[in-house]
Amino acid sequence: MTGEEAEPLKIRNYITSMGKKLLLFVISVLILSLLVFYISRLSPGDPLVSYYGDRVEKMSTQEREWARERLGLNNPIYVQYIRWLQNVLEGNFGISYKYKMDVTEVIGGRIINTLLLGGIGFVFIFLLAPVLGIVCAWHEDKLPDRILCRIGTVTGCIPEFWLSLVLILIFAVFLRWLPSSGAYTIGAEHDAADRVRHLLLPLAVVVMSHLWYYAYMIRNKLLSEIRADYVLLARMKGLRKSQVMLGHCLPNVAPAYFSIMAISVPHILGGTYVVETVFSYPGIGTLIYESARYQDYNLLMLLSLLTGITVIFCNMLAQTISERIDPRIRSEEEGSLREVKEQ
Amino acid sequence: MSELLEVHNLSVSFDTPAGEIQAVRDVSFTLKAGEVLALVGETGCGKSVLCKSILRLLPDIARIKGGHILLEGVDITRYREQDMRGLRGKTFAMVFQNSMTVLNPSLSVWSQISEAVKIHGHGMSREDVERRVVELLYLVGLENLKENRRLYPHHLSGGMRQRCVMAIALAADPKLLFADEPTTALDVTIQAQILDLLKQVQAKCHTATVFVTHDLSVAAQVADRVAVMYAGKIVEIGTAKEVFHDPRHPYTWGLMQALPAFAGKRDSLYSIPGMPPTLIDPPKGDAFACRNVYALAIDYEKEPPMFQVTDTHFAATWLLDERAKELGIKAPVLSGSLCCPDSPCPDLEEDILLDVRHLTHVFAVTRKESLTAVDDVSFQIHKGEIFGLIGESGSGKSTVARCIMNVYRPTAGTVRYQGINICNPRELRAHKKLLQSARQIIFQDSDASLNQRKKVCDIITEPMKLQHVKPPRGTYRAEAAFQMQYVGLAESYLDQYPSELSGGQRQRVAIARALSMEPALLVADEPIASLDVSMQAQIVNLFKHLQKEHGFSFLFIAHDLSMVKFLCDRVGVMYQGRLVETGTVEKIFGHPVHPYTRRLVEAVPVLDFG
Amino acid sequence: MKDGFQVVGIQQQIQQNVVKPQNQWQGKPILSALLLSCIVILCCACELIITKDPSYLDLQHHSTAPNSQFLFGTDTMGRDIFSMIWYGGRISLFIGFVSTFLTTAVAVIVGAVSGCASKRVDAAIMRMVDILLSVPDLLVVVLLQAALGSPGVVSIAFVIGMTGWMSMSKVIRTEVRQIRNSEYVIASKCMGGGFFHVLWHHLAPNFISSVMFMVVMSIRSAIVAESTLSFMGMGLPVEVISWGSMLSLAGQALSGRAWWMILFPGLFLVTTLVCLTNLGNHLRGHVNRRHSNL
Repeated sequence: MTGEEAEPLKIRNYITSMGKKLLLFVISVLILSLLVFYISRLSPGDPLVSYYGDRVEKMSTQEREWARERLGLNNPIYVQYIRWLQNVLEGNFGISYKYKMDVTEVIGGRIINTLLLGGIGFVFIFLLAPVLGIVCAWHEDKLPDRILCRIGTVTGCIPEFWLSLVLILIFAVFLRWLPSSGAYTIGAEHDAADRVRHLLLPLAVVVMSHLWYYAYMIRNKLLSEIRADYVLLARMKGLRKSQVMLGHCLPNVAPAYFSIMAISVPHILGGTYVVETVFSYPGIGTLIYESARYQDYNLLMLLSLLTGITVIFCNMLAQTISERIDPRIRSEEEGSLREVKEQ
Repeated sequence: MSELLEVHNLSVSFDTPAGEIQAVRDVSFTLKAGEVLALVGETGCGKSVLCKSILRLLPDIARIKGGHILLEGVDITRYREQDMRGLRGKTFAMVFQNSMTVLNPSLSVWSQISEAVKIHGHGMSREDVERRVVELLYLVGLENLKENRRLYPHHLSGGMRQRCVMAIALAADPKLLFADEPTTALDVTIQAQILDLLKQVQAKCHTATVFVTHDLSVAAQVADRVAVMYAGKIVEIGTAKEVFHDPRHPYTWGLMQALPAFAGKRDSLYSIPGMPPTLIDPPKGDAFACRNVYALAIDYEKEPPMFQVTDTHFAATWLLDERAKELGIKAPVLSGSLCCPDSPCPDLEEDILLDVRHLTHVFAVTRKESLTAVDDVSFQIHKGEIFGLIGESGSGKSTVARCIMNVYRPTAGTVRYQGINICNPRELRAHKKLLQSARQIIFQDSDASLNQRKKVCDIITEPMKLQHVKPPRGTYRAEAAFQMQYVGLAESYLDQYPSELSGGQRQRVAIARALSMEPALLVADEPIASLDVSMQAQIVNLFKHLQKEHGFSFLFIAHDLSMVKFLCDRVGVMYQGRLVETGTVEKIFGHPVHPYTRRLVEAVPVLDFG
Repeated sequence: MKDGFQVVGIQQQIQQNVVKPQNQWQGKPILSALLLSCIVILCCACELIITKDPSYLDLQHHSTAPNSQFLFGTDTMGRDIFSMIWYGGRISLFIGFVSTFLTTAVAVIVGAVSGCASKRVDAAIMRMVDILLSVPDLLVVVLLQAALGSPGVVSIAFVIGMTGWMSMSKVIRTEVRQIRNSEYVIASKCMGGGFFHVLWHHLAPNFISSVMFMVVMSIRSAIVAESTLSFMGMGLPVEVISWGSMLSLAGQALSGRAWWMILFPGLFLVTTLVCLTNLGNHLRGHVNRRHSNL
């Protein structure tokens, strides 16, 4: 297990495994882009509409033909795809047909807002879920646990959009405490307090609708951990129950939690799309919908690539996290060896 | 010497939805400093619960119903959790049974040991803690661990893990150590090492020890005094010499007779009939009466009190009452002979049923790495012979069995069954029907090898339905009922699910399923490893009996040498994938040649009741 | 020989096992099951209880607060919300069931094939599923919708069904792999059990319980998906009444402070979802038999 010659070998193995992962990542992204490209081209609808708007109606067949030619829409799909790919490799993602500007610019202005909402929500969930989970597991089947489980199940079931509506109804319409839409009051773009006030309700929805899922997961994992034999040994040493819970059971749950949280990054970010729509919050959620509706190909490709890359990246991150952190999986190969031995 | 621990009339109950389980009933014993008390008895008779209730490590549903626990004269029965915490680790410590699961998998071994040192070492500097951990590692014989502090439990073998647990238990120099079956889950050779270590530590640190075991021979090796527990009560207690040489309780007689070493030349092992009672509303009178051939009428009416035999020897049986003296019931004579039964030497000229030649099986672990589980193994099994395959876990025994059953395809070598090369797909296909019904397998874990969602009746008749065998006794159900009776199960179990049966009963179902096809070759992969001693004896008797009746050939895989010695005609010893020695039972056990075999044979606890 | 001091040997002992009568309803989601069946039955038989024609535009009484005539009030187009809820519930539930049926069928096929296939085929299928999972759901829905033409009840159900099967198939595949390596399957194969025998007698009964949990949860997420899509204007149009499409008028409701238009359909939606969740959790049978060591 030790030995000097093992180190370089380890590093080499590490590099090859990282290389493999990178390759897999690139291939996955390529297949994803091809898939989205084909599906979007196959669906009916006229991209000219989004480019020229109502003017299309008045255009002659010849003019339309010329316009299609200019936008490269007459080539076979694979040629279009290759051309798109070439452009992307040069850093050119094309222009949005609808907004008539570079797609990166279209997205750039809005992605910050989405990241702000999703990111802060994620941090809240990430920190609160273990607390709730531990509280529940500590009071297993007693009153606090039961109450939390009831409340959690109900909030976890409420669809995001309805929760948003109810919150708007209460806090914006009836109580008039908080604004009901937008990311800032027009004219007060740089007022931090104003931004926070606008963020509060959407954030509450994002956190409330996801929190219980993770808290419940931690609760259940902790419950099976406190039934493990090592708890007896730890208590036999003379540790406090709280020390056993936090020092022995939690470290066993942590790797699984981290990797699930990593997988959930796109999920939580994606959840903001709906919230953005209800609160008319200028993020990229509404963009996806619009671009697919109106055949804004370049915008659509970039958006779906971004989402897809986040998903694939987070999945790989999760895998790596659990491999790095969890000593059990870290030596899974040894483990499988042992299992095989015993058969 | 003053008494270190006194337990007076302790009763512990679990409140479950099904009712109150009286796990420990009215138990009293004392322990002096530095003394070793062995608690023996079958599984489920309350040994572990007794220990854990003294340390107060039982779940919330358990409560101490009555009695007192005195530690150095101080009553600790009503101590609260924070008071107990000060005692745990420092005054008493415990070594647990499952060394594989008892260490925290996500913390390094070093940190787990040093944590135990720190808890009670107030004001110890870091160097002091480190020095103490190294000291402990030396004490438990793990000195080579001191260099590598980033070792996790999964890096260690079962034996090493048990040593770590010992180091943790001894961290604060406890006065009293509870050892709950510390060797049960380990291989034979490792068992002997751990037992030696316990004895050494005990001698060095002078720790009083309560040693829980179901193995009388282990108890005989370590204990000063022995307490026999049955159904939550101590039924006999005395010095080791008294209990082993002059046992008074019929249960103790039964336990001693059940040891394979005492089987002598008899053709069946003694086994205590029946099973321990469930402790929800235990039966009236003596709980052991319904398994006791010497039961008196009064046993069914009234619970016997503790009778004093000598100053130190007590037993709870009515046989010791004045009025029963005239019956003259004495302990059955144990033929303590350890000579081997001279089994009929199989006629070598007889037909060879199974011929394994140069069998090799390699598992591909990753694309580059591979693991040779079985390496050039050759042996033959004759018709009507019982062939035993022994070796420690991971030595490739099960892989051999699975190759013979065509579950794995061997990497090299041939397996011939009655001349049919079963490794050849074409020959296998040609004789598929014959092979499928003539070879049957029984697995170790009857829990996993029976489909939990099928009724016993369907499980037993599955092979017959598959092979379209017309049931000789009319219907499938009648056939299943017959097979059940045959292996000693009541017909009423037919409509039950495997989870409703006990381990021994499930294994009987598996046997009935295998035998319903009248196999010519029965492969049993550690069929008794997960069973209790008395159940083991019952199953082994059943095997012996059935084999005599049916005359099938039998490949018996086990790691329990004494059972193999009792049951088998010939034995093969496997070590790290190789078959290092084969021969008759007499040869292997009398004159082992290979060093590993010798180690194995020597590691068996010797029955030395002196 | 009196006082019972004679050897009688082994006798059958009557063990007076007084098993406490256990409440057989304990721990079972009775309330959820009752509520859910009420909602389902009343939605299916909505003609019996609705007081108005749910699609009748009573323009004189638009945006009326709840009163004795309109129990839950009316929406901005003057439709009676009480009647709409029962009528629309039928469509929401229908979409939930149909899309779950689709999801389950596809997931079971893909999962079982992948679970039974060789290592390489399995890896390939699972990689494909992973990639499909990384396509944003919203995108797939919109694109499929566009491909299928005008949104209708069946097409929505189809679209939702097609987006939900991936994670379910992964679970089923793991389950199949696990069972396939279990000893009773090996034993059955040794006895001569063929692929279909093992599939029918061993695999199916053992993974049905875990599939049932997934199925219930998938009904839940299908209903959520339908209502969310309809709410955002990507699903059913306002004319086709469902819980989701009723809520798509929420924007107007907010400005008119018509809380009843948001509250009542949503309450029914949430009640259904909570009941389904409770049922699902019960089916999973997550009961800890052992007792805590802490």
